[in-house]
Amino acid sequence: MKRMLEVALGIVTGIGGFLEAGSLATAAQAGSEFRFDLIWAVIVGAVCLAFLVEMAGRLSAISKHTIPDALRERFGIRFFVVSLIIMELVMFLVMATELGGVAIALELASGVSYRWWALPVGFLAWILLWKGTFGLIEKGVSVLGLVTLAFVVGAIHLHPPMADVVRGALPRPPAHDPARYWFLAVSILGASISPYLFAFYSAGAVEDKWDVSHLTINRITAGLGMGFGGIVAIGALIVAAIVFHPLDIQVDSFMQLPLLLTGAFGRVGFVLFVASLGIACFGAAQEIALTAAYMLAQGLGWRWSENLPPAVDARFSLSYTVLIPLAAIPAAAGVDILKLTNISMVLSAASLPVIVAPLLILMNDRRYVRDYGNGWFSNTVVALITALAFVLAIVSFPLLVKGGG
Amino acid sequence: MLLVLDVLDKQLTDRHGVRMGKADGLVMLQEGDAPPRVVCIEVGSLTLARRLGRHVGRWAARLARRWGGDRTQSYRIPWTLVRGITLEIAVDVDAEETRVNVVEDWLRIHVVAHIPGGRL
Repeated sequence: MKRMLEVALGIVTGIGGFLEAGSLATAAQAGSEFRFDLIWAVIVGAVCLAFLVEMAGRLSAISKHTIPDALRERFGIRFFVVSLIIMELVMFLVMATELGGVAIALELASGVSYRWWALPVGFLAWILLWKGTFGLIEKGVSVLGLVTLAFVVGAIHLHPPMADVVRGALPRPPAHDPARYWFLAVSILGASISPYLFAFYSAGAVEDKWDVSHLTINRITAGLGMGFGGIVAIGALIVAAIVFHPLDIQVDSFMQLPLLLTGAFGRVGFVLFVASLGIACFGAAQEIALTAAYMLAQGLGWRWSENLPPAVDARFSLSYTVLIPLAAIPAAAGVDILKLTNISMVLSAASLPVIVAPLLILMNDRRYVRDYGNGWFSNTVVALITALAFVLAIVSFPLLVKGGG
Repeated sequence: MLLVLDVLDKQLTDRHGVRMGKADGLVMLQEGDAPPRVVCIEVGSLTLARRLGRHVGRWAARLARRWGGDRTQSYRIPWTLVRGITLEIAVDVDAEETRVNVVEDWLRIHVVAHIPGGRL
């Protein structure tokens, strides 16, 4: 029974990492502009994520050290500080996006502008972290996040042409607007393979005191969680392709997105959409806030645990206390959340090498993973992902300029 | 044993197995013609700042003098108290009795305690 509950960690990471502002918006854009042609990007993202998350969990279960720990200990303070700065900047942008996503969900529900909701949402996220425990946040989000399955149900309900969907699962050259096509492909990969997730997952493994006996569960949760997340994102893409593409609707605001589910479910769809957006973004915002604090605390050797009262790990708790209100400022200031989403997803993709490349080394370092290191297959996969990460890092900026508008 | 690979930046654990920061620096001593030897491990952000570059180090030192006085000096653990080096460095001290958590303690008393829910 306990083990069953632990699978929740994988599922929550799946939802928090997959269906959040980033993956929802990029999937909707991809579906509306390129129909089913970019489904492959979601699949590639989900597969990469499943492999990397499994490794992050294995690393921490065996070594009892988290990824930020290992970045500092194995690669030294200079490397750590560079990766810390890059990661914190990206996490800040993504957290701002997610808080904006929750605020927009509340605007849709209430009619009151998202700008007014940003700070209260930040406050709610903070108070749950301040008072709550890791288990509460993990399980709360995973249960509530199941509402995002509405996108899968919606996709099935709309009877997509299966032949076209399957064809979209294979990478293909763009039919039109190549810059935009590749920009969206990179955004989808950035939204799926979020670097913060590995740090969050590895911290979760240590928070939940994982050991060798958890390796099987780790494998199941990584596969299930990421598979679950991927299917939900594909559902959103399919719905967008069916609802938006025939009408030639280009997604240029989150405000259009409730149409995705009202097409399939009518009025109930609106409620389901608002709940999905709000919950998924809120969960992601909390995970990112925690990860931003974990990263600082673990790398610099502070005390840390979401399960300790804030008085015991003051530096850790104050880190997220400072970061959350700062991340609520862009939305409160009226920044265009969809633009912020696209920028932060592309930068997220660009930041991948700083965490993926070290993982390739760590998963072969016997001092960390002992006899549980990567086999040739996992090494080949993670080497390919590392190569992909470097390609993404190089192409992301030019694509942001050419295809981002 | 390789000092930089095996010791520097590693996790320190105290005699109760409690995490007590990282090996932020090493102090080495050379006497006469003898090869230099490590005399202690330093734990503290000032040591860490120095390793990031001369300017960062100086700036941190100035900041520390203004705000913290002597308390912010790095804490030194004699090499003779090192009990084992694996992925972590086990040292024979009690973290509670050292200064490694002065900043933590200061923040708990002066900041966290003033936020509702911040008291133990």
